[in-house]
Amino acid sequence: MALSGIQIFKLTPKKNCKECGLPTCMAFSMKVASGAKDISECPHMSEDALAQLSEATAPPMKTIKVGAGESEHSLGGETVLYRHEKTFVSKTLYAAKICSCMDDAEIDAALAAVPVVDYERIGERMYTEMIYVNEKPGTDPAKYAEIAKKAAAVRPVILGCKEEAAAKAALDAIADTKPVLNGADASNYEAMSKLAADAGVVLGVSGASVEELYDTVAALEKLGNKNLILDVTMDSIKATFEAAVLVRRTALKDGDRTFGYPSIVNVAALADDAVMQQALVSLFTVKYGSIVVIDKMDYATALPLYGLRQNLFTDPQKPMKVQPGIYPINGADENSVCITTVDFALTYFLVSGELERSGVPCNLLISDAGGLSVLTAWAAGKLSSTSIANFIASEVEGKVKNRTLIIPGKVAVLKGDLESKLPGWKIVIAPLEAVQLVKFLKDLQASGEI
Amino acid sequence: MPFNRKLQKFSASINEVEIGTGDKAVKIGGQNVLPFYSFDGNIGNGAKVGIEISDLGVEGMPACIQACYEGCTSFADIAKKAASFEGVDFLALSLEGGDPNGLNKPTDELIAIVKEVADATDLPLVVEGAKNAEKDSELLAKVAEVLAGKNVLVMSAKEENYKAIGASAGLAYGQKVGAESAVDINLAKQLNVVMTQLGVNANSIVMNTGSASVGYGFDYTLSTFDRVRAAALGQDDKMLQMPIVTPVASETWGVKESTAAEADAPEGWGPVEARGISMEVQTAVACLASGSDAVILAHPVSVSTVAKLVKELV
Amino acid sequence: MAKFIVIGERISATAPSINKALAERDPEPILKRAKQQLDAGATYLDLNIGPAESDGEEIMKWGVELLQSNFDNVPIALDTANMKAIEAGIAVYNRAKGKPIVNSADAAGRIGYVDLAAANDAIVIALCNGEGIAANNDERMMYCQTLLERGLMAGMSEQDLWFDPLFLVTKGMQDKQMEILECIEMISQMGLNSTGGLSNNSNGMPKHIRPIMDATMVAMAMTKGLTSAIVNPNDLRLMETIKSVDVIKNNTLYADSYLEL
Repeated sequence: MALSGIQIFKLTPKKNCKECGLPTCMAFSMKVASGAKDISECPHMSEDALAQLSEATAPPMKTIKVGAGESEHSLGGETVLYRHEKTFVSKTLYAAKICSCMDDAEIDAALAAVPVVDYERIGERMYTEMIYVNEKPGTDPAKYAEIAKKAAAVRPVILGCKEEAAAKAALDAIADTKPVLNGADASNYEAMSKLAADAGVVLGVSGASVEELYDTVAALEKLGNKNLILDVTMDSIKATFEAAVLVRRTALKDGDRTFGYPSIVNVAALADDAVMQQALVSLFTVKYGSIVVIDKMDYATALPLYGLRQNLFTDPQKPMKVQPGIYPINGADENSVCITTVDFALTYFLVSGELERSGVPCNLLISDAGGLSVLTAWAAGKLSSTSIANFIASEVEGKVKNRTLIIPGKVAVLKGDLESKLPGWKIVIAPLEAVQLVKFLKDLQASGEI
Repeated sequence: MPFNRKLQKFSASINEVEIGTGDKAVKIGGQNVLPFYSFDGNIGNGAKVGIEISDLGVEGMPACIQACYEGCTSFADIAKKAASFEGVDFLALSLEGGDPNGLNKPTDELIAIVKEVADATDLPLVVEGAKNAEKDSELLAKVAEVLAGKNVLVMSAKEENYKAIGASAGLAYGQKVGAESAVDINLAKQLNVVMTQLGVNANSIVMNTGSASVGYGFDYTLSTFDRVRAAALGQDDKMLQMPIVTPVASETWGVKESTAAEADAPEGWGPVEARGISMEVQTAVACLASGSDAVILAHPVSVSTVAKLVKELV
Repeated sequence: MAKFIVIGERISATAPSINKALAERDPEPILKRAKQQLDAGATYLDLNIGPAESDGEEIMKWGVELLQSNFDNVPIALDTANMKAIEAGIAVYNRAKGKPIVNSADAAGRIGYVDLAAANDAIVIALCNGEGIAANNDERMMYCQTLLERGLMAGMSEQDLWFDPLFLVTKGMQDKQMEILECIEMISQMGLNSTGGLSNNSNGMPKHIRPIMDATMVAMAMTKGLTSAIVNPNDLRLMETIKSVDVIKNNTLYADSYLEL
């Protein structure tokens, strides 16, 4: 984070000695702030001041990597608190939870359920990225290591374990998969930090309060361990929410890097009810969870959640685009009517939703329109009779036999040109708004036009 | 050094708006912090949860919700049943059947339903329009008139019809008015300006700044909440300090995740009811966490879950 | 960024009618001007009671209480060469709508005003000059630094020193105008607040020209980072320009009716 002139000025000797070539320390500070001068050009900066400066210019929140190889994920690295300010960097990851308190059959079933949710949505793979392996205190270390190993074969693992022996056994078994050792607190951080550092893995830190968490992180940093994730789960939903917000805000808004780490929120520990867990996973996706742990990821949870995450982590300046192509709807085949619109994701979802509601089989044709809405794309020349005609000639005519094309009502002006550029096609104009499509299509179907 | 807890204090606050009368009246807004940031200051009245019914009756509901209204034969029955579910703070009646592009029910018929519902409940009432600006200016003006004295919230005042709805609901009959602006933050502000210029008290206005299901352009919805609150609290923008009421159910129960029957859905999706509830709950919570002061939901399980979470957070 | 702060300059002992009203404790002319300025969009009101050597304390107390009781604790800039009068005014000042502003300190004889502001948790307008007007921006920034250090040493937040580059009259010092704007830019780059008697730039120009020059100057100065000005809020062109620049700078959210707010 860049420092302002005043922050630098406060660290200068304020002697106005002119040895830097500028008349005042203030002028010098401004030049340093703008990058025109380097702080080293002041011969009178104290060691302490220089150390404060270098600390202050480090990124406000560290980027932490978990998992290995193909399964490596980045967490943190955020610079803002709101998505309209700047694109969020590292999307929230989700972990399904297993526990050494489960029997083998339950564990196997839970692990088998993890890969079930795996699908694509607007070019992004949606799946459960991690598994949280909770250790019930008193579990035989060898047994815990065995469970961890099973889980690590499925997904990168978070070891929820505060017992040194069990943690060591598990790390011995799976350190190469780069798990997170989520086990440090005020009572054991030295031992846990050594384990994590020796194994080269990220250490998860927790505390009974925000204050205690802060002190433990500071103590770990003093030991030289800055490869951390902060488990902000407290003993209530309210306290957890407070911790999640304070940790992120303290780092990004107040510039205190002790809290400049990604967070874990263990929703599974806050509520048993599946619907309440859905509510909480939404809450902590919006408010600052880097990893959110739930009991189980099923489609009912995943479909809204991954949609929310996708919306939250998109670049606010860049529209979401769907891939150009032919999208058959309501069991459409090569003889079904064609209807076209732009590749702006919101338009696509609106239109495809209404088409589905109509029940009329149709082929939705999406050509590349720069991710803009219909009128904007038309005005920008990205949705034209030429672009539509070229797309249909190259991508559609070989695959679809039907020769009726419905175009958006907002670009009705293209009808004439399209008819001349697409001989053999009948061009029909759709209504102006997507909500009118259902009635429109049903009427066309009833009158036998399509 | 120990943790230095810095509070994010705003000198501005969100207006407090009361809906309904008597013991069951609810207040929304009143806070001077971001949603649920009780550690920073006063969170006002917390968040409220409403349940939505419509003039289409039980038949107009998704199948899985119909089951919750079994045995209801009149609108009064439906209203009473809706009010009985756990966690309900207010009742929202949507008059979607009035849409000229849909059933186009006449105003008289709808007004009769409005009266029946209002007489059947002592919960605060929110009335949503027919999603047609022209129809609404007549219909909602009439709604405000027949519910005089009940201090209801009349939603759906848009750029095209705020004068008619504002004059009737906000001026003549002393109701609360909901200004609707569809993720256009400049319009949200403008509607509040012109509504107050019309003479409607700023404390009688709430906003519906736009709604969407998560995954369906919710990025705009969420950023609108964030930016409205940043202006209202951070810049003390008086013309954006109205509380926000977001109709969620009407969005989430229309997307395919909530409508596709298990047999028609992709493999593994499971029963439609669980998907619909999850979509509704996750959308509602994301709205409340970003700036909505109240959400309107449909499934009783969604209502009770969101209400329970709110209780945990305030 | 925060909205531009307009300090209304029209309650001033330099105006004969106000001078008379202050002397006679006649509320009417003062309340009238206050209302005109607030209706036009002023945030702060400057209360200039002149040198007021003998009865300054009484006048300032009376003025502060008069304005705040009539206009919902309107924040005020207390403007006089009589330090005791400023302290007396602050003693009865209600901070509900904002800290009092001490108007003003400089880096020479009036540097004690910084201490006065610090002791009373007030904002201070800090003129970037010492003995005589600064010759160039090096000198202005030197004075700025002196004032800043003084404030910081006394425990003030740097945000409570509002630096005044001293706007110069264009007729006569036309070649210095860009220098003033550069000075504002430097203050802004430091992350500091600024203010000033902006209409001094159009002093001596015909009446119909002044609003044009002032509006242009405020737009240019705001671009450079000026955060406040002591001006006549009843100059419609000036106020419309300020509101428009606030929109362009994203300090306020646009709405079609933004000029009416």
